[in-house]
Amino acid sequence: MTYPGGTTALNALTVEVPRGSVGLVGANGAGKTTLFRLMLGLMPPSAGWLEVAGRSVAHDPVGVRGRLGYMPEHDCLPPDQTAADVVATFGEIAGLPPRAARQRASDMLDLVGLDEARFRPIGGFSTGMRQRTKLAQALVADPELVLLDEPTAGLDPVGREEMLELVGRLAGFGISAIVATHLLDDVQRVCEYVVMIDRGHLVLAGPIDQLTQRTGVMRVEVGGAPGAVASLVAALAERGVDAIALDAQSLDVDTGRCGEDTFDVVRDAVADLGLRLYSLSTRHRSLDDLFLQRAAEAAP
Amino acid sequence: MSLLPPALPGASGAVYDRGYRPYTGPRGGRREAAFAVWRLSVRRALGLRRSWRQKVFPWSLLAIATVPAVVMVGIAWVLRDRPLDLADFLADGFLSYREYVGVSTALLLFVALSAPDMLCPDRSHRVLPLLFSRPLTGRDYVYAKLGALAFIVFGFGFLPQVVLFVGRMLVSDGALDYLTDNAEVLWQVPAAVAVLAVYYAAFGLALASLTDRRIVGGVALLGTALVTSTVANIIQEAAGDPGTPLAVVNLLALPLAVRDLIFLGHIGTDSDLTGVAGGGVLAVSAYALVLLGCLALLQHRYRKVDL
Repeated sequence: MTYPGGTTALNALTVEVPRGSVGLVGANGAGKTTLFRLMLGLMPPSAGWLEVAGRSVAHDPVGVRGRLGYMPEHDCLPPDQTAADVVATFGEIAGLPPRAARQRASDMLDLVGLDEARFRPIGGFSTGMRQRTKLAQALVADPELVLLDEPTAGLDPVGREEMLELVGRLAGFGISAIVATHLLDDVQRVCEYVVMIDRGHLVLAGPIDQLTQRTGVMRVEVGGAPGAVASLVAALAERGVDAIALDAQSLDVDTGRCGEDTFDVVRDAVADLGLRLYSLSTRHRSLDDLFLQRAAEAAP
Repeated sequence: MSLLPPALPGASGAVYDRGYRPYTGPRGGRREAAFAVWRLSVRRALGLRRSWRQKVFPWSLLAIATVPAVVMVGIAWVLRDRPLDLADFLADGFLSYREYVGVSTALLLFVALSAPDMLCPDRSHRVLPLLFSRPLTGRDYVYAKLGALAFIVFGFGFLPQVVLFVGRMLVSDGALDYLTDNAEVLWQVPAAVAVLAVYYAAFGLALASLTDRRIVGGVALLGTALVTSTVANIIQEAAGDPGTPLAVVNLLALPLAVRDLIFLGHIGTDSDLTGVAGGGVLAVSAYALVLLGCLALLQHRYRKVDL
């Protein structure tokens, strides 16, 4: 996607995401909002195509928008209206009959915890209440998919927890969500799938539990005489297992060659050398590790 | 939906955990979305479901626009038993239907305040991304707003005419005779008021679309009315008699010239274009040009939106 001024916001981005909660991760300027714009059909891609909820955005942008809900990052609510009026209004504009829109608005504000504040003007709301109102308006027409742009932006720790809890419940309601954020912790907590982009390029995409599974490295901590780690590395090498000393007490052991048997090999080697085995664990990668690693690899 | 058991045996209450309920009812598309914007804009402009302070202005203007008609009908009603005085009043003091179209500056004032109020908050509060993430296009939005403002201006311009017409029927010797004698008014008035309403609404909204600040939008419209009419007067005086085609620069008087064509078939003697050869064609052309220009500007301003 290249803007008329020549700025390329997204480049060769080919990705397919499943139903459920999807994290769209990238630093500021990575192209997250541009991707949302394209998904909403508010601008045509300079090349390529998109399909959202089984519909081509290019051929039926209005039809696609009829199935989506959108929660922008920025403040976008009229301060002189009540939350009930605003949410009902957007329900009506999404195509609901007026009575149904008012009923749904009431239900959604109840769902996001604003039942008692719904008849207060939004101008007097806190940041957390505004975020909840924005989420309520995104859900009011019962969309198939909601696009959430930085849903925890500006929230205090308690508000952030509550918002993440709400977002985490969406999949249970049968509503898929794409959560654009630069906070990887948020994604790891509420999403099942992640798409990482950096400067318009796809960094990686996949199910979070697979991406963060074992790294093929076992961290071992031992105690004993000075040089214990070096002697253990040598002993493991004799048994056909590669290892790297990290410091005087710990080493990383490659589990690739022996697989599950590596545990036994390490245990036996430690016992033969008369060392004390403090810990032995396989490592899991975090999304931060993955993002930094892949972004560094992709950097020109 | 699950029904939780009562906490105590014999308790009459019940607690329902409603959870999330999917919506399975009817769901509209672009037309319904645009109609919703129209309905909400009408409601906002009239101050409905808003505080009493928001209601004062529109309803006061409606009253101001209607009061002259009510007063004239009242005087005619008082004079109904004095045929000579009544005849004099109807001939000299009673405004004609043509004159009443656009006679009140209340309509212009209403547009100057309502047009920016319809558009500017959506921009300044950045509501547009939410609106355009619905099944709504920029064109739908523009025409819904235009329709809403034109509808209200039409109502404010048409209602006093109804008062005038019904009043004159009541004070005339025969209501049915008056109706048949003045049947052409039944299409002339709505047509002329519609011409005025659409033009004022489009003009006001086009100017308001250029700014995020309501006050600027309102002042721009009133300023345009003042400046163009002053310039037209200067040109008129410089040109002498007959008038000059350059008088078309009085942009907000153009619908009144078209009104003259509807009622009289020619430009009225009180128009800036009186005596100009081809003044009628010029007026209609300029009217259409300005109207189309306003619509083009509005569509251009809402052709895309930033998230």
